[in-house]
Amino acid sequence: MSRAAILARPELPSLVFLILLVAALSVTTPSFFTIPNLQAVLEQVVVVSIVALAVNQVILSEQIDISTGSLVAVCAFVYGNIALTVGGSWVPLLGALATGAFVGLVNGVLSTYGRVSSIITTMGMLFALRGAVLLAAGAQVLNLPPESRIFGLGEAFGVPISIIVLVVVFALMGVVSRHTVFGRNVYAVGGNDRAARTVGLPLNQVRLMTLVLSGLSCGLAAAVLLGQIGQLQATAATGFELKVIAAVVLGGTSITGGRGSNLAPVVGAVLVGVILNALTLNRVPGIFELFVLGVLILAAVSFDGLRTRLTDRRR
Amino acid sequence: MDVPRAADFLRSFRPSRTTGLFVLFVVEIALISAAVPGYFSVYGLLDASRQFVEAGIIALGMTLVIITGGIDLSVGSLLALVSVTIGFGMDAGLPLWLAILAGMGVGTLCGFFNGVMVTALRLHPLVVTLGTFALFRGIAFAVSGAGAVSNFPAWFGVFGQTTIGGLVPVQLVFFVVLAAAFAIMLARTRFGRYVYAIGNNEVTARFSGLDTDRAKIAIYTLTGWLVSIAAVIHTSRISSARANAGFVLELTVIAMVVLGGTRITGGSGTILGTVMGVLILSYLQDGLLFAGVRSDWGLVVVGAFLIVGVFINEFFRKETR
Repeated sequence: MSRAAILARPELPSLVFLILLVAALSVTTPSFFTIPNLQAVLEQVVVVSIVALAVNQVILSEQIDISTGSLVAVCAFVYGNIALTVGGSWVPLLGALATGAFVGLVNGVLSTYGRVSSIITTMGMLFALRGAVLLAAGAQVLNLPPESRIFGLGEAFGVPISIIVLVVVFALMGVVSRHTVFGRNVYAVGGNDRAARTVGLPLNQVRLMTLVLSGLSCGLAAAVLLGQIGQLQATAATGFELKVIAAVVLGGTSITGGRGSNLAPVVGAVLVGVILNALTLNRVPGIFELFVLGVLILAAVSFDGLRTRLTDRRR
Repeated sequence: MDVPRAADFLRSFRPSRTTGLFVLFVVEIALISAAVPGYFSVYGLLDASRQFVEAGIIALGMTLVIITGGIDLSVGSLLALVSVTIGFGMDAGLPLWLAILAGMGVGTLCGFFNGVMVTALRLHPLVVTLGTFALFRGIAFAVSGAGAVSNFPAWFGVFGQTTIGGLVPVQLVFFVVLAAAFAIMLARTRFGRYVYAIGNNEVTARFSGLDTDRAKIAIYTLTGWLVSIAAVIHTSRISSARANAGFVLELTVIAMVVLGGTRITGGSGTILGTVMGVLILSYLQDGLLFAGVRSDWGLVVVGAFLIVGVFINEFFRKETR
C-alpha cells in the first residue's frame, strides 16, 4: 500500500487518536494498560462492534438502520425463551439469528421495493418491536442457566468466546467486503447510485441484503449480550441504535455512503469503550459519560468535515 | 370514454393529501368514540391536547428542517437541557422569569449551534444532531447531577396547567397560534420559498444566489426556539425539571411530521399536514390509553402507522423522473 493510500484511509484519524489515547492513558492511569482491563474493555464493546460491522455495510450503501436496539431486545427475548424450554446455546442462537434475519428482510423489502426510505422503515420498526417485546415480556425477568450463556461467559483457549466471535465476524466481513461481488457492489451503490444503476448493478437487491445482514448481526449480538448479562429484560438495549451509528461514524465511515472501511466501526466502538473505561478508572462520575460522548462525536465529525474540505480544495 | 381518459377523470377527483389525512382523523375519532363508550366529549378531546402540544410545537420546526432535506435528532435532549436550565437556574437563585428567559436563550443558542455545525463544515445534519443529541442531554445530566427541581412557585403553572374558560388548555392556544404563524411563513413568505428551494435542490438554490447557509442556520435556530417554548410548557405542566425529560421525543416528532406527508428526502411538506400528523398519532394513543389498552400497544401502533402511512404515500406516488 502506498503512503498516499494509507493517508487516505477513512479510519486513519480515529485510529491515530485511539493509539495516542491508549498511550496517554497507559502513562497516566496505571491500571489501564493491564491484560484484565484491556480484556474487559474489549468484552464491553463486542456487542456494539458486531452490530456496527453490519450497520457499516448499511450506511456504506447509503441507507441507515435505527431499529437495531429494539431488534436486539426482540432477538434476546427469542433466545432467552428457547433457552429456557430447550436449553443449550446453539438452538437459541439459531432462533435469534432467524428472527433477526426475518426482521432484516422485512426492513429491506420495505426500504427498497416498498419505496419507504430506510430511516422511516427502521424507525417504525424501532417503535413497533420495542412495543412488541414490552407486551410479550412485560415485567418478566428471565434468568438464564450458565449452559445457555457460553457466548457471553465461555472461554476457549483462555480467550473469551465473545471476543472470538467478534474476530470471526470481523474477518468474515473483511472477506465479504473485499472479495465478493456483493461486497464491492455495496461501495458502488453507496458511492454513486445513478452510476451503479446505469452499469446494471442490482441496487435494490444489494441494499436489501445489507439490511438482512444487519438483522442477522442483531441476532448474534443478542446471544452475546444475553450471555453477558444473564438476565432478560424488555427494556434491554434501549438507545443501543445510536451507539452503533456513533461507532460507525466515529470510526470514519461517511454517513452519506460509499466511503468507509471495515475497520472503521470497530475502531469507533473501541474508541468509545476506551474513553468510557478511562472515565471509570479515573473516578469521573457516570453522569458525565453522555457529555463526553457528545463532545467526542462532534469533534470527530468536525475533524472529518475539515479534512474533506481541505482535500477537496486541493483537487 | 376510453380507459386512460377515465383514469384521468377519476384522478382529477383525487383529494389532496391533507384532505385525506383530515378524513382519516375524523374517521379515527368516530371509530374510537363508537368503540369506547364515554370517550367522546369536547372537554375530553381538548384536555387530551395537553399530551401532544409539546411534541406538536417542535414538529412545526422539524417540518422546516425535514423539507430542507435535514433532520434534527437533538430536540428531545434540548428540551431536557432547557428544562434543567430553568429549574436549576431558579434553584441557584435567579428569579423564575429570568430563569425562563435564560432557558429560552440556551435553547435558541443550541439550535443556532446545530445550524452552524451543519453549514460551516457541510456536515450531514444526522451526524451533527446525533452528536448534540448526546451533548445536550449530557450537559443536562452534568448540571443537574441527575437530580430534579420541583419547588416552582404556583404562578408557573400558567403555561401548562391552566385553561381558558375552564375548557381550552392554555398550551393549545400557543400551539394554534404558532402553527398558524408557521403555516403562513412557509406558504406565503420569501423565507418559506427558500425552504422548499433548498429541499428541492440545494446546489441549484445556491447558484441562484440564495444564501442557503443563512437560511439553514435560521431554520435550526427557529427549531431550537420552538423547543424552548415546548420545554417551558413541559416544565410547567409536570412542575418538575429533570435531565431525563423528553426521552425519545425526537422520534415521536419525526414520526408526526413524516406521517403528515413531509418527504424525508426533502422538497415537499406542509404545516397543515404536520398538524394532521400530530392529531392522528396523538388521538390514536389517547384513545388506546382511554380504552385501557396497555400503553405498550401505543408504540406498536405508532411504528405500524409510520411505516404504513409512508408506504401508502410513496408507493402510489407517480414517478416524476
